Amino acid sequence: MKKLLVGLALMVGSALAQTQLKVGVILPLSGPSAVAGKAALNGIQLAADEANAGGKVRLELVVVDDGTDPSKAVPAFTKLMTVDRVDIVIGGLASGVTFALSGPVKQYRPLFLAIGAASSVVEQAFEGYPLFFHYHPWDYHNVAAALQFFQYLNREHGAKKVAILYEDGPFGSAGIKVYQEQLKKLGYEVQAEPYKTGSGQFTPILTRFRAFRPDILYWIGYDVDALPIAAQTRQVGLRPKLIYGAPPSWPVGFEKNPLSQDVVGMTAWLPTLTNLESRRFVEAYRKKYGEVTEEYMAPMGYVIVKSLALAVERAGSADKNRIAEALASLTMDTPFGPLSFKPSDTGKTRYQGFGPEIWLQIQYIQGTRRPVFPKEKASVPLRYPGEYYLR
Amino acid sequence: MELFAQTLLNGVLMAGVYALVATGLALSLGVVGIVNFAHGEFLMLGAYLSYLLFAFRGVDPLLSLGLAFLAAFLVGALTYHGLIRPVLKAPELNQMLLTFGLSVFLQNLALLLFGADTRVVAPPYQAATLALGPFFLGAVPLGAFLLSLALLLLLQLFLTRSRLGLAVRAVAQNRLAPGLLGIEAEAVYLLAFGLSAALAGVAGVMLSVMLYASPTVGFLFTLKSFAIVALAGLGNLKGVIPAALVLALAEALVSTYVPGGGGLVEAVFFLVLFLALVGRVWRAA
Repeated sequence: MKKLLVGLALMVGSALAQTQLKVGVILPLSGPSAVAGKAALNGIQLAADEANAGGKVRLELVVVDDGTDPSKAVPAFTKLMTVDRVDIVIGGLASGVTFALSGPVKQYRPLFLAIGAASSVVEQAFEGYPLFFHYHPWDYHNVAAALQFFQYLNREHGAKKVAILYEDGPFGSAGIKVYQEQLKKLGYEVQAEPYKTGSGQFTPILTRFRAFRPDILYWIGYDVDALPIAAQTRQVGLRPKLIYGAPPSWPVGFEKNPLSQDVVGMTAWLPTLTNLESRRFVEAYRKKYGEVTEEYMAPMGYVIVKSLALAVERAGSADKNRIAEALASLTMDTPFGPLSFKPSDTGKTRYQGFGPEIWLQIQYIQGTRRPVFPKEKASVPLRYPGEYYLR
Repeated sequence: MELFAQTLLNGVLMAGVYALVATGLALSLGVVGIVNFAHGEFLMLGAYLSYLLFAFRGVDPLLSLGLAFLAAFLVGALTYHGLIRPVLKAPELNQMLLTFGLSVFLQNLALLLFGADTRVVAPPYQAATLALGPFFLGAVPLGAFLLSLALLLLLQLFLTRSRLGLAVRAVAQNRLAPGLLGIEAEAVYLLAFGLSAALAGVAGVMLSVMLYASPTVGFLFTLKSFAIVALAGLGNLKGVIPAALVLALAEALVSTYVPGGGGLVEAVFFLVLFLALVGRVWRAA
């Protein structure tokens, strides 16, 4: 009887010590960014399970779909604020949607933990908002990492001409002019054309690029465009030495498609990375979902919830301002490397997580993604020119 | 000049698929008198069927074409029987709301069953190219164009040479008179609506190889088909191919010659639709 009472007292004590928190999650579970959105949600749920099993924090997730569409995202966010009454929101994957959410976020003032939204248009929109934590690198970080790779291609492989296909939303077109100028400074001739994502019609633009004879075909867009571009490049007789893509995610099964061979892209993470946190994440993910993901949004979602749980634990409170304070002073190891928050490079937002250092260039080789640049992270040498040039 | 000729070729090849999808829409509009907003979802059905057969049974999309035709015909016929027939005499707004609701339902059903992921079908000839001197033709777009043309030719033969086809045309011209001659209008409606869905289903298989399969793949083609049908004249089957050519060539030319034209492609069909409707009003005035 005495043991039972002690046990009961311990349980009550731990329940009282446990900080309970309702967290809103707004992600693209449908629409062009759905692959990345679902990967992110898997990572978020995995970390929430781990945090809840730890006993000190109890996170209840309220998940809504933004449809990769501002007109769906704003009502979904409003529901989180007014019906579910959450104080903390994880979301902001697609830039266009996050830009649309900036007004409602400032109106309802939650602690907003942004998982993606790389466009500096978003950085500008959230300027001065004190509860905005942006984990993903900004577009200028992405550009810096990509430029480093282009510099290498220019220097080591003699690449001189880049044809850029960019989607005409905020993701693809923000900063495209600056990007072109920077490529020109590196010694490249540049030709850039916008396109409508999901339209699947690239033959006219690619035909025009044929006269330009680019060494690199660089595409900035979404997963739905990957296969039509890879196929139509061949169909119009365009023979770039490298097809380089920068989508937030790749289509399901793209690696198994022969057209993916030698396509190069940029990612922030691969399951083959050997750091301890990455290996832990891969193991936990496999245990929960029975598979391994290659989408970097999965560990990104995981990192956000892990850091939130740690901040809640340190704050010892469910108050969003105290959690934000704890988060701001946090330092932790993650699958991407160390995480801590500092003001963004432009000084517009106060809390920026990762920078250009997390990016690595990968190449699809025989159905797998292999790191090829920077050299210290490469597992195989870059295949340049790719088979689409050699055929 | 070479660029111009290649641009025209690209446009002509795309026109084949546009014409196939739009002919289905024109059939349902011209014969049954229904504005079918769910037309693109029959296309999506064909795309997913092609994906599933390829992914789980390794069936080549070329072989899926016949199956998609039959499956989409069946779904179209069932849709007509269960949903369209009861509202044939209802106000047009009710009919449109019904097909719009059906479109939303089918899209969400696909979302539920397959998720929003983009699915790709990858037969070995997917990127095959034919080089004719300085010109390049993708084997798949060329095949899709030729197949579309063959199907439209068969449809034309069916409508002009067979008794059933003549009955379809008779019902399209006058809903009451054919009944006096013993033509079962109900059966003709069912046939026309089924055929309309079947053509979209076949186009879906082609697009699963040329683009991808996803719950929303048909939506854009529905919009473009409306522009084509409006340009051809509502329900005018003969005008569909020239109208599809106009739209596809306009898109290709804008994309090639207008600076930043790739981002304006979707505006082209709105412009075509706008001009067609304004032109019609002017002619009627």
